[in-house]
Amino acid sequence: MNWLSDEAVARLRSAGAEPEFAGTRYQLIERIGSGGMGSVYLAEDATLGRRVALKILDVPDSAGDLAARLQREAHILASLEHPGIVPVHDAGMLADGRVFYAMKFVEGERLDRFAEHEGTLPARLRIFQRICETVAFAHTRGVLHRDLKPENIMTGPFGEVLVMDWGVAKILRANWISTTAETAREQSRDSSGTLTAVSSRTPLKTAHGAVLGTPGYMAPEQARGDVEHLDERADIYSLGAILQFLIEASEPATQTAPRALTAIARKAMDADPAARYASASELGQDIARHLDGLPVLAYPENVLQKIARWAARYRLAIVLVLTYLVVRALLIFWFRR
Amino acid sequence: MNKITYGLILGGILGIFDGLTSWFTPAVRPQLMGIVLGSTFKGLLAGVLIGIFARKVHSLGLGVLFGLGVGLLFAFFIAYMQRNYYVQIMVPGGLVGLIVGYATQKHGDSSTASASRT
Amino acid sequence: MKEDTRIGGPSGKFPATRWSAVVAARSDDPRERSRALGAIVEAYWKPIYKYLRIRWNKSNEDAKDVTQEFLTQLIEKEYLSDFDPAKARLRTFLRVCVDHFVANQTKAAKRLKRGGDVLHVALDFDGAEAEFTRAESPLTVAASAASFDEYLEKEFVRNLFTLAVADLRAFCEARGKLRHFQLFERYDLDDSVTSRPSYVELAQEFGIAVTDVTNHLAFARREFRRIALEKLREMTCSEAEFRREARALLGVESA
Repeated sequence: MNWLSDEAVARLRSAGAEPEFAGTRYQLIERIGSGGMGSVYLAEDATLGRRVALKILDVPDSAGDLAARLQREAHILASLEHPGIVPVHDAGMLADGRVFYAMKFVEGERLDRFAEHEGTLPARLRIFQRICETVAFAHTRGVLHRDLKPENIMTGPFGEVLVMDWGVAKILRANWISTTAETAREQSRDSSGTLTAVSSRTPLKTAHGAVLGTPGYMAPEQARGDVEHLDERADIYSLGAILQFLIEASEPATQTAPRALTAIARKAMDADPAARYASASELGQDIARHLDGLPVLAYPENVLQKIARWAARYRLAIVLVLTYLVVRALLIFWFRR
Repeated sequence: MNKITYGLILGGILGIFDGLTSWFTPAVRPQLMGIVLGSTFKGLLAGVLIGIFARKVHSLGLGVLFGLGVGLLFAFFIAYMQRNYYVQIMVPGGLVGLIVGYATQKHGDSSTASASRT
Repeated sequence: MKEDTRIGGPSGKFPATRWSAVVAARSDDPRERSRALGAIVEAYWKPIYKYLRIRWNKSNEDAKDVTQEFLTQLIEKEYLSDFDPAKARLRTFLRVCVDHFVANQTKAAKRLKRGGDVLHVALDFDGAEAEFTRAESPLTVAASAASFDEYLEKEFVRNLFTLAVADLRAFCEARGKLRHFQLFERYDLDDSVTSRPSYVELAQEFGIAVTDVTNHLAFARREFRRIALEKLREMTCSEAEFRREARALLGVESA
């Protein structure tokens, strides 16, 4: 048996990992990332002459749960048409048996990296509002993200904010798939091993006790594996954690964040789901109120705090009036001389 | 709050202060109430006009100049009615207009939708 | 260099099902157990030999003896019944077992047989030794558990790929696609040239069209990948473990 050199082993590894695009319209450019299920590749769509991102399983799993999960992710993305959700262009299986889907290639920066060097707190809060809008939209379509975190948010060069990686999304409503095209069906094997089309009303089930998500951004009920009782408020918790991250990233260690903002994050991250915001829209609206200098739901103010907030909101006018009074006083004394 | 409302409120407040400071001129103290009312009305009107200008023209320099001009003009009318105290009336009047002109360019919303700045 | 004797059934191949040799090695069926242990021995004997050479500084003769003795003990003492995939990878488990074995080794170690359960695996130690001395800087492995694990990992991959290449050749020959394999060998395995030939050069060399070069290479790589992953699957206990190992094997790690 011929000996394989280190270089030969490396070539075989590379050849084994590289997706086979023969018979497709895509030409591989480079691998740009990898996650739990597969890798993301940058490719050229030869038909339309544009660059796309392809998410591809690393291992052929055409009849396994991983393939079904990736297909499901593609279906979910395809059903969620929103400026804040990356559009899906195509889905299928490569010649080497690996399932894939093609989506818009987003040139931008992950929120965690963006926060290291960019933006004042108000600018970040406006980005956060867009995230809330996107998540609220998904919730109205019966889809729970379940893995919201700064690493899964992309900020584009033209102000786009995209919520990425819906790989562990949960469908909350049994009739979700029935609202999509008839071809959006899931498959599974029956006991004899034959591929069958299952009812569109039975989405993939996460086993009770299974923990999907990221520590630090996962709601307590999600961390417990209580999948049966997960609802939109689990995503609210994650949004609160993202808000907390944005606050801490922009505030110097010696400076404290505005109390109202901290209260908003705390309310969103309450251990009791009933105490959190009822929707991502409500959370976004409280952020908007904070940005407008208005009282927020999460932070009941006393009289002094209301005056302080009012003064902060109209500080320019107050300064100008005081300036006028000072100048007027000087004029009075001048004319009296 | 839109620019017109902002100009109205600020012009009115400054108009009140403008009228009240005439108390430091003993000769006109007996007419203080009338002066305050007149000055307030002047401030409100000037504030509305300057606010409308700020809504149409987004230029700090032009806004300040317009405010100064409106303030001076209104103050001139008041001083002309009395044929006296031109400097004492026009300088603070111009100052009020200048301040309202600056403030309406920097603050308040141009559109009907709420989109505030911090 | 002697060729390794193929083990298992008459064709030396295992069915393309989700079969784990590690799980089957604990089977009550002696034939199943024999087959499974044969697969494990085939995958690991050479990396273990090289590991003994480098880690314990054994001479080639001593390493040969220890390897055979260890593998016998592995079977006789059913070491694999103590293996828990949740705690460590099989390679790490075997490395630790080898280390313990060497540390506790007695000169009077016996080679035992079990009735009807004998493994006939020919171990080409001369070939393994030639590979060991041929490798670049074999003695620069730093003396730490992590680096020895890394070395064992590297040799495991090398051996697995070597077995997969052999299987690929047999597969292509059986289907009249030897040229596909030759192209693959020429393009992906050949170290004798400083730069890889272009597809045009290969087309001229083999007297075929460039598109055929592309298609043949794609076929061979696809089959190589399938075979290598099947072999890897035999060395894992669960689908989750297999996926982790497959990603590591292909160099695709999480970002």
